[in-house]
Amino acid sequence: MRNVWRLLAFDVMAPLAAIAALLMVGVVLDWPLWWVSGCSVLILLIVEGVGVNFWLLRRDSVSVGTDDDAPGLRLAVVLLCAVALSAAVLTGYTHWTKSDRDFKKDSREVVQIATGMAESMASFTPSAPTSSIDRAAAMMAPEQAGAFKEQYKKSSAELAQHHVTAQADTLAAGVEAIGPSAASVAVILRVVQETPGQPPSHAAPALRVTLTKRGSNWLVTDVLPIR
Amino acid sequence: MSDGEPTEPPTPQTGGADSAEPDDASRADADAAEPAGGGIFSGYGIASAVLGLLSVGAVVLGVIIWSAHRDEVAERNYLSRVMQTAAEWTGVLINMNSGNIDASLQRLHDGTVGELNADFDAAVQPYRQVVEKLQSRSAGRIDAVAIETVHRDLDTQPGVSRPVVTTKLPPFATRTDSVMLVATSVSENVGAKPQTVHWNLRLDVSNVDGKLMISGLGSIR
Repeated sequence: MRNVWRLLAFDVMAPLAAIAALLMVGVVLDWPLWWVSGCSVLILLIVEGVGVNFWLLRRDSVSVGTDDDAPGLRLAVVLLCAVALSAAVLTGYTHWTKSDRDFKKDSREVVQIATGMAESMASFTPSAPTSSIDRAAAMMAPEQAGAFKEQYKKSSAELAQHHVTAQADTLAAGVEAIGPSAASVAVILRVVQETPGQPPSHAAPALRVTLTKRGSNWLVTDVLPIR
Repeated sequence: MSDGEPTEPPTPQTGGADSAEPDDASRADADAAEPAGGGIFSGYGIASAVLGLLSVGAVVLGVIIWSAHRDEVAERNYLSRVMQTAAEWTGVLINMNSGNIDASLQRLHDGTVGELNADFDAAVQPYRQVVEKLQSRSAGRIDAVAIETVHRDLDTQPGVSRPVVTTKLPPFATRTDSVMLVATSVSENVGAKPQTVHWNLRLDVSNVDGKLMISGLGSIR
């Protein structure tokens, strides 16, 4: 009875678990060519080992699992199995769990940055004409920030002349598309413009904010009206 | 492999069990990571048991990781389907012409569920008015579709807001997601300059028995 257990554990389960682990690594990595070749070689070696083991079991009625004179070999089998399984779990963790977590975190982060960016960009206070644009420029990629500021200064000069106050608030925002290093967020704002002596005007512009990831930070590359 | 040594008699396992019994017992128990009934653990046996436990732990972790990832992928696929359903429905809405208005409204009605379905005529009244006002050949285009993750109900001044149909989770629906859509329809009148209508829409998409239906329609403004 004990020998049956040992046979099952060391001669059947261990190689099967190792093969399963190798296959799982392949599934996680989505079968790159190097792993297709590496995995086939390793599986072939395991199958060969199992074949020899069972051939010897037929001949000598003793296998790796049941041989009392070869505890070292048994340990080696378990060690290889454990290494393969641990490798599979580690690859699964880094490629699946971590990337899923990053995806969620990135999705939250880009929406937050994009709404902040859109609100600062569409807001304007004549008493502090550069306060909101400085806030917006800080969220942009450095090479775009300069050109963006120039452009904004031109359009805001007119607003400042007429003492127009603009207050923008996000009505709705969502991620249109996101990848590991780029994202596009749609933001619908409500902009209330107040000109002295005139009733306030409302508008609901839709903006598309594109972002890129530098290191661990998301930076805005562009803000465009969706239409 | 040392199994094949000629010195070892090729006895069947039942025959050799007598002499090997105590050692066998301790090692088998240790190997199988079961508590031994008072046997002696060899270093190899303990090491094997530890590695065996490690392997079992790895298998359990692997299953957890796999199922979590599968859920995550299913969730993303579901949200893509939600966006696609909303986009298709809106495509019909913004391509309504005075010529096909009845057929379009029927199609739209069929895709709805819950209160929106019951009060469909009231809900689409503003849109119907827009279409009837256009009285021309118009073509709509969807500019942006996104799952709405930020939603702020800014206190609208009375009289300015358009009536928004709010729905609770309709019966039999397991979940509802909000989708925001930005669309444009351009109507071409003969002899007049093209007229553009901008749409900022919020659609609630509910899952009813695996079928995605629109349960809410509103304008974001």
